Amino acid sequence: MTARQGGARIKRRLMFALEIAIAVSAIVSGSVQAQVKSFEGLTLKLASQNDQFAAVLADLTPEFKQATGVTVKVDILSYPDLLTKMTADFVGHTKSYDLYTTDIVWAGQLAASGSTVVLNDLIKRDAAEIKVDDIYPVLMNALGNFKGKQVAFPFAGYANILAYRKDLYEQAGLQPPSTMEDLVAAAYRLTDPTKHIYGFVANGQKGPAVAQDWMQYNKQMGGDILDKDGKPALNSAANIKSLTVYKDLFQKAAPPGAVDYDWDGRETSFRQGIVANMQTWSIGAAGYSDPSQSKVVGKVGIIVAPPGKGLPKYYGVGGWGLAINKDIDQKQQEAAWLFIKWATSPSVHKELNEKGGGSYIRISETHDPDLLKKYPFLPVIDESLVNGDGDYRPRIPQYPQIQDILGDAVNAVLVGNVEPQKALDEAQAKAARLF
Amino acid sequence: MSRRPAVHALVFQRAVLLLATCILLAPIAWLITTAYKPSVDIFSFPPTLAFLPTLANFRGALQHFDLRHLLESSLIISIGSAVLSLLLGVPAGYALARAKARWTIGLAYFFLAVRTVPPVATLIPFYLIMRDIGLLGTWWAVILLNTTLNTAFVVWMMFCYFRALPREMEEAALTDGCTLFGGFWRVALPLVRPGIIACALLCIMFAWNDFLYPAFLTRSETKPISVALITAFGTKDISWGTLGALAHFSTVPIVLLALFLNRYFVQALTRGIH
Amino acid sequence: MGKQIELSRESSGSLISTKPVMTFARYRRLFLVLLCAPAFVYVLAVAVWPLLQGVYFSLYEYNLMRPASRAFVGLQNYRDFWADEAARGAIITTSIFTFSAVTLELILGLGLALLLWRDSVFERALLALLLIPVTVTPVAVGLIFRALLAPDFGVLGYYFAEWGLSGPRGFLGNPATALWTLVAIDAWEWTPLVTLILLAGLKSLPTDILEAAEADGATLAQRFRLIILPMLLPTIFLAAVLRSMDAFKVFDIIFATTNGGPGDATNTMMLFAVKEGLQFFNIGRASTVANLMIVCIALFSVAFVILIRGADRKANER
Repeated sequence: MTARQGGARIKRRLMFALEIAIAVSAIVSGSVQAQVKSFEGLTLKLASQNDQFAAVLADLTPEFKQATGVTVKVDILSYPDLLTKMTADFVGHTKSYDLYTTDIVWAGQLAASGSTVVLNDLIKRDAAEIKVDDIYPVLMNALGNFKGKQVAFPFAGYANILAYRKDLYEQAGLQPPSTMEDLVAAAYRLTDPTKHIYGFVANGQKGPAVAQDWMQYNKQMGGDILDKDGKPALNSAANIKSLTVYKDLFQKAAPPGAVDYDWDGRETSFRQGIVANMQTWSIGAAGYSDPSQSKVVGKVGIIVAPPGKGLPKYYGVGGWGLAINKDIDQKQQEAAWLFIKWATSPSVHKELNEKGGGSYIRISETHDPDLLKKYPFLPVIDESLVNGDGDYRPRIPQYPQIQDILGDAVNAVLVGNVEPQKALDEAQAKAARLF
Repeated sequence: MSRRPAVHALVFQRAVLLLATCILLAPIAWLITTAYKPSVDIFSFPPTLAFLPTLANFRGALQHFDLRHLLESSLIISIGSAVLSLLLGVPAGYALARAKARWTIGLAYFFLAVRTVPPVATLIPFYLIMRDIGLLGTWWAVILLNTTLNTAFVVWMMFCYFRALPREMEEAALTDGCTLFGGFWRVALPLVRPGIIACALLCIMFAWNDFLYPAFLTRSETKPISVALITAFGTKDISWGTLGALAHFSTVPIVLLALFLNRYFVQALTRGIH
Repeated sequence: MGKQIELSRESSGSLISTKPVMTFARYRRLFLVLLCAPAFVYVLAVAVWPLLQGVYFSLYEYNLMRPASRAFVGLQNYRDFWADEAARGAIITTSIFTFSAVTLELILGLGLALLLWRDSVFERALLALLLIPVTVTPVAVGLIFRALLAPDFGVLGYYFAEWGLSGPRGFLGNPATALWTLVAIDAWEWTPLVTLILLAGLKSLPTDILEAAEADGATLAQRFRLIILPMLLPTIFLAAVLRSMDAFKVFDIIFATTNGGPGDATNTMMLFAVKEGLQFFNIGRASTVANLMIVCIALFSVAFVILIRGADRKANER
């Protein structure tokens, strides 16, 4: 055989091998594509809470359509509307929506009513794809697990953080607070009504607003809503003490209107610059550096919410999960799970946050260099989520009623109608009847 | 009142009216202006009225809300229930007003009683019924429910207006050879035209503003704008700018409608019996 | 109406005498029943059935989220409601609110209607503008006033607090003034509606009687007291009953401003009903509250009926 003939044969062999390779890869990718594209033409309806991530998610759904052919329609609703519509949908089996964003505290209700698809097996099956280990364990548990049943998948993790005015602290020569006691002392120090500066602000409005905020501070000060058996212990000594501290803060260190504040009121007061300290959800942290939203750009420091002196470092955790409506048919359920995997995948979720979603669920996200450049406070969120406590608001089925009872009791104390001990005793009596 | 009133009475009247208008419109003006403000200026400390206008809120509202469908749904629901309510209610109001039997007053009160029912009580049973007959999520579910309340309202209003009309007018027409229906249609009806216009306007406005029923009974495609306004409530804050922007679209059609119907809202010239 | 109608006794007498009275009257009754029937049937079918279901549910402890635990409890729900101090207070709060708001709206509405009675371009344009508050969703109205009255940064509230008109917590943050503030907000929103109703009534009044009285030299006050007011009574009654029924069901503005607080100052029955029904999905208790509301509203309306009906009958027989 001449060299030329040999070379030609090798070339033919190479060509043949190449063709085989192309054919095989075509078949493989075709089948994967076939598997993914088999959902082509389906439509998923998602009901989302009107939080920061909603608009961003709505803008990202065309990418999902490109990848899988599934159209996702995002309906943005307010909190009461979302809760009522979701419950009505489940109760009436009307299949109005395929996917819901579910609040952290709804897990107990959803598990009890069995209205959403239990995701444990799906997560186990797709664990590698989802990179389960990358998701903060506290979020996987809090944003959708109740007594072992995963009724929702974590989608937006919030950490309870302290936003404080660096400039005011510097002026007064104070260090940022590392314990709850420091925070309370600083609040009183920094209050100057003549200059319209107040050291502290929190929700005071009757109902869910004051209940949720107080429960957070209560936990930090060492109180607890439930006892170790999971039964309500609203009038424990620690709770009464923390309610007294809360009341004093409202009377001496908070803006006078705070007794009527809900989340909008307290955020506005901080953004307008009349408040020195505010604990809030991390989702709003980026907004303080945005001149179109905030008057205190550049003056805000973000740190972990300070625990009580000597108490373990546990930080409040909140947020939203994605749940699949159990009533929809099998094909829709699979498409919905595909969407959840896609939306929470590292690349897509990072994009969500880059565009201002403010919702972190992955350890890789809070350490991502691009995100860190944009949001330098991510280490605070990371630390809060690593040591997070998602149960300071008990995620039990009776939560709505307990929240309501506390909402009445705490507001009555803040207004001056009743003393903390009596208020919590009465609240305890009402709560005990629920069990 | 066709005589020329004294000049100072006129000035007084106009001044008071203008003052009332200012008081009634100022808060609306505030809401409208929030649409043009960036969120940092909506609440200002200390409060000022100056701001740098922006259209970002409108862009956001138009991007995330399907305004065409929202307005379409609102119009269909409002006008639909108004028309249906008038068709059912005006004749019924006339019948009750002209009936001579004593028990018809009871029937009138029955209609009135329907309006006392708080929506919450009927909402969930109605929701389940609509689901069973397959109308859940359509405009019809809302129209049917709104018509119930509005019919009761129309019956009662027209009952009162018709009762204020002297019977002699129709009886005179009857003796002239008019039918009973003609007495209703050609004699009594035109005389209560202001009342009918008022009813129509009110039915439309009640239906336009109602958000509790539509929130429950419609899908995202059939949602009216009143429901969209509620989404302004967020858990972190209230999207005041979006609310202001949406309020533009929610208020303008009704104002135009009121201006249009105003033309018919004129004094009925009754010549009476000589 | 340009046709002159002459009443001829002979022709009316002969018309009636040629037909037996029974037939005409029966025919007339049939005609009226036919006019009335569609509305009656419709309302019966669409409104009364869910209402009866509501009464039925109120006898049960029934949470829609846990349908298996449904249990017949008879009147226990009513007893629980009555035993709750906050609930009892809500009945009183709601009644005070309703009475004050309706009275205020009637007085202001009548005044505005009288001022708008002249029929010129100015009045017609103004009427359309005045109706704008009614066109804004009540929730948005609540939000607007919450924003305006906020004592720390609201355009009105800040200055009210600064100048000492309100306490430092603002009108809405003070239990003593919160309810009255809400009455004022309600009046702001609904007075134009009352004005519209009363104006329609004014415009339906026979002008000849008024002109005759004016020609006879009656003063404005006399014309008002002796002619306009009595003839307007049915309409006033209408507006009063209509408004009190809706005012008793007040929810949106309270939800958007104080959510029942501060303390229990603005706690109304509808807040209870919505909380139980749409937040907890306790349809048994929600129906209980709703039924109690119906009873209260009915009592209110009966009071109005007795109050005005006497005068109304006198006016009608004129």
